Amino acid sequence: MSTAGSGAVRLRALPGWLGPLGWLVLLLALSLGMGWLEGLLRLVEPDSRQVLYARASFLALLGQHVLVVGVASLAAVLLGVGGALAVTRPAGRDFLPLVSQLASIGQTFPPVAVLALAVPALGFGTLPIIVALLLYGLLPIVRNTLAGIQGIDPDVHEAARGMGMTRGQILRQVELPLAAPVILAGVRTSVTINVATAAIGATVGASNLGDPIISGIVNGNTAYVLQGALLIGLLAITVDSAFERLQRRVGRRGVQ
Amino acid sequence: MIELFEVTKRFGEEVAVDGISLRVEKGELCVLVGTSGCGKSTTLRMINRLIEHSDGEIHLNGQPVRTFDEVALRRRIGYVIQSTGLFPHWTVARNIGLVPRLLKWPRGEVRERVEALMALLGLPVAEFADKYPHQLSGGQAQRVGVARALAADPEILLMDEPFGALDPITREALQHELLDLQARLHKTIVFVTHDMDEALRLADRLVVMRQGRIVQQGPPLELLHEPVDDFVASMLGGEERGLKEAALTRVRDRMLPLGPRLLAHERVAAQAPLHQALSLMLWHRVDRLTVVDDDDIPIGELSLRRLVGSKS
Amino acid sequence: MGQGRPVPNVVLIALLLAGVVAWLTLPAVSVAPNRIVPGTPLLAQEALGWGVTLPALVPMLAVVVLGWRPEPARLRLALALVVALLAAMPLWLSAAAAALVEAAQARLGIGAALWLLLFLWLLALIELRARLALPRPLGWALLLPVLLAWWGCLSLWLAPLALYREYQGRSDQFLDAIGQHLALVGAAVGAALVLGVGLALAMRRYAGLRRAGFGVLNFLQTIPSIALFGLLLAPLAWLSARFDWLAALGVSGIGWAPAWLALLGYSLLPMVRNTFVALDEVDPAVIESARGMGMSRRQVFLQVRLPLALPVVLEGIRITTVQAVGLTAVAALIGAGGLGTFVFQGLGQAAMDLVLLGALPIIALALIADALLSALADCLRQGGAT
Repeated sequence: MSTAGSGAVRLRALPGWLGPLGWLVLLLALSLGMGWLEGLLRLVEPDSRQVLYARASFLALLGQHVLVVGVASLAAVLLGVGGALAVTRPAGRDFLPLVSQLASIGQTFPPVAVLALAVPALGFGTLPIIVALLLYGLLPIVRNTLAGIQGIDPDVHEAARGMGMTRGQILRQVELPLAAPVILAGVRTSVTINVATAAIGATVGASNLGDPIISGIVNGNTAYVLQGALLIGLLAITVDSAFERLQRRVGRRGVQ
Repeated sequence: MIELFEVTKRFGEEVAVDGISLRVEKGELCVLVGTSGCGKSTTLRMINRLIEHSDGEIHLNGQPVRTFDEVALRRRIGYVIQSTGLFPHWTVARNIGLVPRLLKWPRGEVRERVEALMALLGLPVAEFADKYPHQLSGGQAQRVGVARALAADPEILLMDEPFGALDPITREALQHELLDLQARLHKTIVFVTHDMDEALRLADRLVVMRQGRIVQQGPPLELLHEPVDDFVASMLGGEERGLKEAALTRVRDRMLPLGPRLLAHERVAAQAPLHQALSLMLWHRVDRLTVVDDDDIPIGELSLRRLVGSKS
Repeated sequence: MGQGRPVPNVVLIALLLAGVVAWLTLPAVSVAPNRIVPGTPLLAQEALGWGVTLPALVPMLAVVVLGWRPEPARLRLALALVVALLAAMPLWLSAAAAALVEAAQARLGIGAALWLLLFLWLLALIELRARLALPRPLGWALLLPVLLAWWGCLSLWLAPLALYREYQGRSDQFLDAIGQHLALVGAAVGAALVLGVGLALAMRRYAGLRRAGFGVLNFLQTIPSIALFGLLLAPLAWLSARFDWLAALGVSGIGWAPAWLALLGYSLLPMVRNTFVALDEVDPAVIESARGMGMSRRQVFLQVRLPLALPVVLEGIRITTVQAVGLTAVAALIGAGGLGTFVFQGLGQAAMDLVLLGALPIIALALIADALLSALADCLRQGGAT
């Protein structure tokens, strides 16, 4: 909801999946062949001996980044959707007000602060980052799942019960499909934030695409910073355009 | 057959339905009518256990509804609501086939049934089967709602103000269609409305409710002639009850066979309700009409004296 | 609902019982001889003995019992108990500090149990506030005794608290950092407000601009902040090298300039979107009737459309501000200063208390900005509703 918009699509009006695929190809090509840009990067940083970040291969950094974000987001989707569904069932209804308040208060917490707090609690490394991303990523998913489920016309629910659908059938055949576009928007927000926050995780000892940026800033090498920034930007756009596409597919059916 | 014995529903302190007893015979169209908040919808929803009753007994063919599995019970009872509650993410055909699919009918049978129902409700399959609910007009959506309720051929149909949101012309058309359907299918129908004209037009048995109680019940004409109190009388139209009654009687029932006199110039259909004949007389300033059948062939005549019911 | 006895409040019971478990099984504090060495964790009973630990269970269990039959009167009592528990926490810490810390260099760290209790009790507070349907300001007022207790204990007895030691070491820097943080947020949000409202007004007039504008802003919003800061680094460095007057203004690849530009970029989308939607969604019937009464276009805009749109615009300012508080923290990476400096310094030195010294005020700032601006929006809404 908060970052989703239709304007961005028209900017890159490639048909169907070509958009995200194009970005992906560009991302992979640059990760493999950053060397092609050496001449350009030299312009930015004429005095440095080395302009290409070489401490780790970009592909490995990209892999790490995607892995951390992927694991955290997957867990956040499972927990977030599961939790939100649980508190909208009769058995978990008691927890609904608290969970929905928590989800909205939690979203005012800056992601960096959450990441920073995870370190004292869990130490340095990849695990605290995953936990921090997971926790923060839960919030938009929970919030949107709740909004999606609660936004369903009560009469549709009533009719489903009146027709003799069981609770499970109502959940699978009515509630989830109807809430899917809203839930997906939440997942998109969550993943977008996670891609960005994971990069900051480079400061707490994870090696990913944030690394070149941090080491570039530390060493005063703008070329490093550019390489990292370029790849993270491309990753974010690839992911976002894929979600854009997915949302269109899911949202296309029937629903107003 | 549906029977309610001293059924009460309380929501906390508030009593929504207060010890009502009612018996709806098989094949009967029973209309619950009353102002909003009188408990008529609650009563309806207690029959398919969307709301559980607090006290008393509700029987379906002699068996208490509490003894049924609620899901199985609802699959045996058709249910239509005002806003249709069609699933917005499903096509018309899929919406109609819902209950047969829940009952695990074979695919082919579901499709046949859906197509038969669409034909029955005047929804051409080619045009409507693949449409989504938001592409339908109000009347079409409600036809789909009725088709969905009838899909598994339930013996009972519960209808909660199904035509309340439609414009007057569509509403009347659907009322007639419902009567036609009922003449063919003989379902046991409980129909809730706050529109007295609709209630009078449709009901075999009319049940007037007020503040959770049944004030009076019986055939519409009986209530028109002998309302138990001023509330029922005013619900039934007060001073205009005569017109309401005329709307319930058909010209056919009051006409005389063709006599020796010349045919009157103005004509009225034998099937038309009596108030229409009265209106024609008022409009054309005549006191005699020629009654014609569906093929516009004169079959009788109606005089003002006959219309108002002077026995001579 | 409401029939006979009330149903037990499962939420309250679960929260408080989880708190009891945490209190008994997790370390409540840690004691370290100096800043470098990691502290030794101590359970509550190890710190102050069972004589204090067990009596502390009484109010917790009392809330559980009260939650069993949640009538309003009992819930109000439970609320008072939870507030008392929250206020008692710094007192207990003070006692622990007095009992455990002897050396002048030694530091007392807050342990997992206390963090968890803080979290759970605040949740209990939220739950009780919701169940009792207390108005928002009253909810905040409830935190007042808690904050007073912390403030009092910090200034009197809690000098050995590690977090406080970090603060004392750099109290001037701390205030500066808050100042810088607020200045950056203010400058970015202020500029975004002016530009954003202007842009939204222009977009209402020109459909082409609307499409392109939202396209660009949406695109910008998906770029991770750290990448955008990085991408601005090179061109700004180049510009300041080329134009002396820019360099004289303090513009360079690092520092406030790229931070402010990036913040502005991120802030524009929520601002423009909310302003646009707000102006667009004013009930057409109201506008129609205003026209019908003979108001001029200008009058309609200034006296009808704008006042009605204001709460939604304010909502945009709220979202933007909260977002900017968080992003400014990241901007510390490129030398823009602010509270993020402590976070990244602390992370660099593995000094966790320094991280907390940065992170906790950032969260507090975000929460305060959120609360103040939503309160303001509520006020406007109420004023506009009647």
